[in-house]
Amino acid sequence: MALGVAGVICAPLMYIVYLALSADSSVWSRLWNTRIPELLFNTVSLAVSVSAGTFVLGVSLAWLVVRYNFLGRQVWEWALVLPLAMPTYVLAYVYTYLLGAGGPVEQAWQIWAGPEGRVFSPHSYAGATLVMTLDTFPFVYLLTRAALLNFNLSYEEVARVCGASRLRRMLTVTLPLLRPAIVAGLSLVILYVVSDFGAVSLLRFQTFTYAVYQQITGRYDQTAAGVLSLLLVLFALIFLVIERWFRERSRFYQTTGRYRVPARKPCGPLGTGLITLYMVVVFGIAFGLPALLLIHWSVSAVAEGAVDVRFLGFMRNSVFLSGLAATFALLIGTPLAYLASRWPSRLNVLCLQAAYAGYVLPGPVGALALLVLFSHLAPFWYGTAVVLIVAYIVHFLPAGLQTMEPALQQVTPNLEEAARSLGLGPVRTFRETTLPLVQGGFVAAWVLMFLQCMKELPATLLLRPVGFDTLAVRVWLEASEEYYKLAAPSALLIVIMTLPALLLLVSKDWRAA
Amino acid sequence: MKPIGADERTTAQEGSAHSDEQARPLVLELRKVTCAYEVGRAAISDVSFSVREGEILCLLGPSGCGKTTTLRVIAGFEPVVGGEVYLKGQLVSAPGVLLPTERRRVGMVFQEYALFPHLRVSENIAFGLRDLPSVLRETQVHAMLAMTGLTGLERRYPHELSGGQQQRVALARALVQKPVVLLLDEPFSNLDPDMTRKMREDVHDLLRRTKTTAILVTHDHEEAFAMADRVAVLNNGCLEQFDTPETIYHTPSTPFVADFVGQADFIPGTIANGKVLTEIGEFPNQGGYQGGASVVVMVRPDDIHILPVEHSGARILARQFRGSENLYTISLPSGRVVHSSETSTSVFPVGAPVELQIVATHTVLFERKQTQELGA
Repeated sequence: MALGVAGVICAPLMYIVYLALSADSSVWSRLWNTRIPELLFNTVSLAVSVSAGTFVLGVSLAWLVVRYNFLGRQVWEWALVLPLAMPTYVLAYVYTYLLGAGGPVEQAWQIWAGPEGRVFSPHSYAGATLVMTLDTFPFVYLLTRAALLNFNLSYEEVARVCGASRLRRMLTVTLPLLRPAIVAGLSLVILYVVSDFGAVSLLRFQTFTYAVYQQITGRYDQTAAGVLSLLLVLFALIFLVIERWFRERSRFYQTTGRYRVPARKPCGPLGTGLITLYMVVVFGIAFGLPALLLIHWSVSAVAEGAVDVRFLGFMRNSVFLSGLAATFALLIGTPLAYLASRWPSRLNVLCLQAAYAGYVLPGPVGALALLVLFSHLAPFWYGTAVVLIVAYIVHFLPAGLQTMEPALQQVTPNLEEAARSLGLGPVRTFRETTLPLVQGGFVAAWVLMFLQCMKELPATLLLRPVGFDTLAVRVWLEASEEYYKLAAPSALLIVIMTLPALLLLVSKDWRAA
Repeated sequence: MKPIGADERTTAQEGSAHSDEQARPLVLELRKVTCAYEVGRAAISDVSFSVREGEILCLLGPSGCGKTTTLRVIAGFEPVVGGEVYLKGQLVSAPGVLLPTERRRVGMVFQEYALFPHLRVSENIAFGLRDLPSVLRETQVHAMLAMTGLTGLERRYPHELSGGQQQRVALARALVQKPVVLLLDEPFSNLDPDMTRKMREDVHDLLRRTKTTAILVTHDHEEAFAMADRVAVLNNGCLEQFDTPETIYHTPSTPFVADFVGQADFIPGTIANGKVLTEIGEFPNQGGYQGGASVVVMVRPDDIHILPVEHSGARILARQFRGSENLYTISLPSGRVVHSSETSTSVFPVGAPVELQIVATHTVLFERKQTQELGA
């Protein structure tokens, strides 16, 4: 059974490979001569600039928060994670307003630079870089912060004993030891950037994901979309492998030993002021300002009667789809994770690994594969919510599995055997030993998957039944038409609902990572 | 402040006679040092001792006694709130004075070794030699590898080494800088027990060969006795005794030291006619106590021998076979319990009546109220 599930989950990936490899060589050469160089250049340069930006922001913020003591440090420590609650399409839509022609930033700039003053357009490389950087720097921040918190201070002390100055200690000891964590964070960022659809589509910046979407919807050219998809998958795969590899290494760099809380350097009023200013600016433009704007728009939209029966319908659609998808994903994931952790035969582990295939399938790509697969194999389901739910499961099961796996691994056979030796029957053993240990992890996995589905945009756009809109789709549609106010209530609702998942993620997984 | 210079290092009269202890210059001196992590709660208070060149000193005490803090004060990681620390005659720590660690020329071996995981063995050892020309650096690293028996492992990463090898690298990294004083923080606690004995011998030998002045922190009195020229026993942040291992074992200055450095029984007694009268016999009044004073006598198991007899108030309560000896627990007529160490072949049945023979070369007396804290 596990094999069957794994097969179904892998099918879209297989199909994409098949679609691309079976494409006529003329399609390849046409694409190679027209679209691919531009897309490759755009995607790579976006990845590079966003990495640079998130590196600077993430590492410096983590360093300040862990190594210095200033007023409000604990608050900032958490606040800096909040940008992750903003889906990229929400942030992109806020910035198309802020930076757009005649927008508030341009008006402010013109006060100073005169009426001819212009700011850079959000529909550009710079705009995409800004939005993606602000949205993803918490990945680098979180991983670097965790590594710094677990940092064995003896390394720095040994370097001092060896006569190394402060700068040399940082460059030759601390940063190299943080390197695996930083690289893992950056790979996550890049994975996010190359598979993002929401921001680049609203900012009309041509990357692979956006191009795949356009091939499907605009040109109805599935073969070309397949070719582009394969390149995108390969891209994602590379960074996924890099991320895995470095995360493994970073665990290994944190040698055991007596843990000591790093001594935080106290800051004077000037230091506190400067650090606070820096945090306020970063947090403000990444989360605070956009959130305030959303609230402001929502209030006036509600006053104008935007939250009507239709809106409630979108909400119901979102909850219905996400709830079903999360529940099925949990049911499918449990045997996979359980078999692999209890009987780690090669086959069982392979099945589990296969379920992670969704990770390298960016939304539009997975949607494309399912679109074609369903239209060939099960045309009666084509255009129903079933396709969409399958797409969600394929896409988000990996995230759920990542939370379920450690929960199941806590239940060692010894524990169950101990319960049995103490006279409990199999049923009571399960109820009193296994279940209490795993239920926290399983609830967390369900919540995570549910909220990921709520936010999902590209697959929903492509696969939704006619007239069956979700909150995410509404945000994107209204924002594309520049109906900023109308998009706000849905966007705000998504942000608010994402917050608990974020706290879950931060308090559990990331600290241990 | 000037850094602890390399200039004096070469002129130091090396090995100038173990015979004449006083001739060797002082390398380190602590004068009434007090260090507190939190205001009003001293981790160590009024600790004074000194180390001469080439000497191996052990800081011994239970966990939380302040021995690691003392080491970190010497290394310059912790500032002091009272007293002074002198390295090679130069003031390096005092209230408001703190020569940074990187200019102290101390070497340190951490409990968990703290080998840089991103550097190879040879790069780890060369880490502190950045200022040397590369040829010289190479030669020194190679000499150190040979001396610590690590030749052939220079290209490995720390995680590819065994625990013992990791420790050798940590030692080599510290020693290659020719430190003024080498600090070792519980260096053997992460090794397997059977490995520990060998490493102790090797490290002791290495320190002697390189004529290194060393301070070693441990909670294991056997380790302290095996390694040290002199031992400083710490308890609750205070220095209880500072002396040679033999003196500490045979004539401990406080009941705590007596109890901590080996098995000890405390027998109450009274001073009469210039002698101490106890239920196991008479002892000389070495403390010069007045007649009628209440004291306790400390006896170690190797001071007491037992002989099986027909009738006696004292009986064997238990026997513990320890390989090289038999440790007997004996109950006295009063119900008090004492211990006796016999050869490993002297096996007597539990319950047998025995007579005690005291063969103490040293008599150690304490006031009775002193020992009450120990629950003796």
